[in-house]
Amino acid sequence: MPNDKLNIKKLYALSSENKRFCFPQPLKHSIRIGKRDYEVKLKDDDKYGTYILWKNRKYPVEIIRSRQNKYEILFNDISYTFTVETPFSMQRMKVLNSARGKAEKEVLKAPMPGKIIDVLVREGSNVLRGEPLVILEAMKMQNEIQSPVNGKIIKVLAKANCNVMKDDILVEINAE
Amino acid sequence: MKINRILVANRGEIAVRIMKTAHRMEIETVGIRTAFEPNAMYLSKTDIIFDNTEDTSEIPVFLNIEKLIEIAQKTKSDAVHPGYGFLAENAYFAQKCIENKIIFIGPSPDALYKMGNKTIARRIALAANIPMAMGSEGNIDDEEEAISIAERIGYPVIIKAASGGGGRGMRIVRKSEEMAKMFTIASKEAEKAFNDPSVFLEKYIENPKHIEFQILGDTKGNIVHLGERECSIQRKHQKLLEEAPSPALDNNLRKKMGKIAIQIASAVKYYSAGTVEFLLDSEKNFYFMEMNTRIQVEHPVTEIITGIDLIEQQIRIANGEVLKYRQEDIKLKGWAIECRINAENVQSGFAPDPGKIEKLSLPNEPYVRVDTGVQAGSSIVANFDSMIAKLIIKGKDRKDAIRNCKMALDKVWIKGTKTTLPFFRMLVRNPKFLDGSFTTAFIERDLDKYYLNSEYEEMLAAWLATKLFIEENLTDTSINVDFENGKEMSPWLMNKRINQF
Repeated sequence: MPNDKLNIKKLYALSSENKRFCFPQPLKHSIRIGKRDYEVKLKDDDKYGTYILWKNRKYPVEIIRSRQNKYEILFNDISYTFTVETPFSMQRMKVLNSARGKAEKEVLKAPMPGKIIDVLVREGSNVLRGEPLVILEAMKMQNEIQSPVNGKIIKVLAKANCNVMKDDILVEINAE
Repeated sequence: MKINRILVANRGEIAVRIMKTAHRMEIETVGIRTAFEPNAMYLSKTDIIFDNTEDTSEIPVFLNIEKLIEIAQKTKSDAVHPGYGFLAENAYFAQKCIENKIIFIGPSPDALYKMGNKTIARRIALAANIPMAMGSEGNIDDEEEAISIAERIGYPVIIKAASGGGGRGMRIVRKSEEMAKMFTIASKEAEKAFNDPSVFLEKYIENPKHIEFQILGDTKGNIVHLGERECSIQRKHQKLLEEAPSPALDNNLRKKMGKIAIQIASAVKYYSAGTVEFLLDSEKNFYFMEMNTRIQVEHPVTEIITGIDLIEQQIRIANGEVLKYRQEDIKLKGWAIECRINAENVQSGFAPDPGKIEKLSLPNEPYVRVDTGVQAGSSIVANFDSMIAKLIIKGKDRKDAIRNCKMALDKVWIKGTKTTLPFFRMLVRNPKFLDGSFTTAFIERDLDKYYLNSEYEEMLAAWLATKLFIEENLTDTSINVDFENGKEMSPWLMNKRINQF
């Protein structure tokens, strides 16, 4: 982080679908809807665990992953991935992206132990977000493991009829 | 009562469910402690615990016939309730119980065998003049035979495993060129899953509704039906939501289908609780699909609208008692909806998401019945199914039940695994669900998104991500946060970290 961190006036949270949310720094503990500010409280107690209180409603929250400036947040049972950028890093990212295209490696892991029934893609296949890549049998069900991104398969490690442990890498994808 | 002690040869919510009724009937229960789940909830609901934790086999004890017989004998249980899944529909297990003078709470081994083999069941149904999708008379030997039958009845057709169930070993074929490949796949899959490669062929009914009838029969030949359940909301042939009655049936059709359901059950001299499954097409033609010879996951919706405890009936019938209901005594009242809250990730095609349930709070309302086998601190383990709880919601009619369902869903609080809750929150607002016109293709064909969220929810999540970024990178206190770049952490570990913020 550059030393001029006190000069950062705002931050951007970019969603995986490229939606942009802008927040002032220092961060306000409220969110404006129309002309009104609604207070946001991050709380934690024994009964509920961590939650956000907003407009008199509790929403369960969890941080699933945190990796550099990338965060996967579970909010009300739905997961969202954001990268948080400063105006400076945003600018740099734009430059980098235009210079070399923005390929980023996505590693798809087995969500649970089980047996690979079928591998539906090959190295070099182009895949779309949500497209089934591997069929994994576990917990009495055949489960489609889907691509989290649009991109190109760069490595296939899953083999049909082999058992995998949780978090074993199945395929690697170059995200678009 | 001949039955004084029941060995519950199952786990999870159904073990808890069986124990509850047994205790009300003043019957003792035996539960089995396994190495997979040594602190499971059902163990706190049973009178006697048989400790089987030294058995570290990958195959659960609930599938081990010899061991279960031995446990029943050691614990002096005079009956075994198999629940659902595991050995519930295993004729050999039922036979072994009888040979060892243990009452099997379920149908006869003969009925289990006949209905368990889909080709035999088909033949019995044909002989009893039951409406069925056209198809092969018995198993098919090769793809040529399959092609010639398919040409007679017309494409599309479906290849099914004779010993199958749960959607495995099934393949839809739309043209003859695909037959050879699909025949091989289905047959191989059947052999792997059911130890029996035989398959048969049926006309594939496009976009049907899945309607099933609950029946009860005693050992004296009396059989009644308890109305239908609508189970069309499924993915991968696994049900997610069931309701009773079905918005697609009127009294006339109910009477007709109910009569046929009883006819099939009579053909195998069925006793105990059972379910006859039908497909209902858009013209309201119905076709017998199969009979499930056990208590089903979705049995509570029938209990709500009939007021009859199905587990109690199973126990009484196994005890040799005569059914006290005649068909005219069965009255359907109100509406019931069951939501299966599973540990699954709706954002990645309902993949199971096993883990530890950190926090759990379930609705405590007069309009909801909750059947569960877990509590806060329990784990959903990969060795078993992904069920967390069943919410069974009551209403005076369908509209009322759906309104109550919306409220009930907002009173569920689960932390530790992803769940099917976001799916149900979407479903109860979907026009096709609300008007009742959905079919078994609903999830795969009619939805482009499997969950509900508002734009504000995403904004709040973005706010939290930003807050974390600031705490980690832009404050002076962030030095004690030891994020290793690139290392993924358990969310529950990170959770503790947020507390410091």
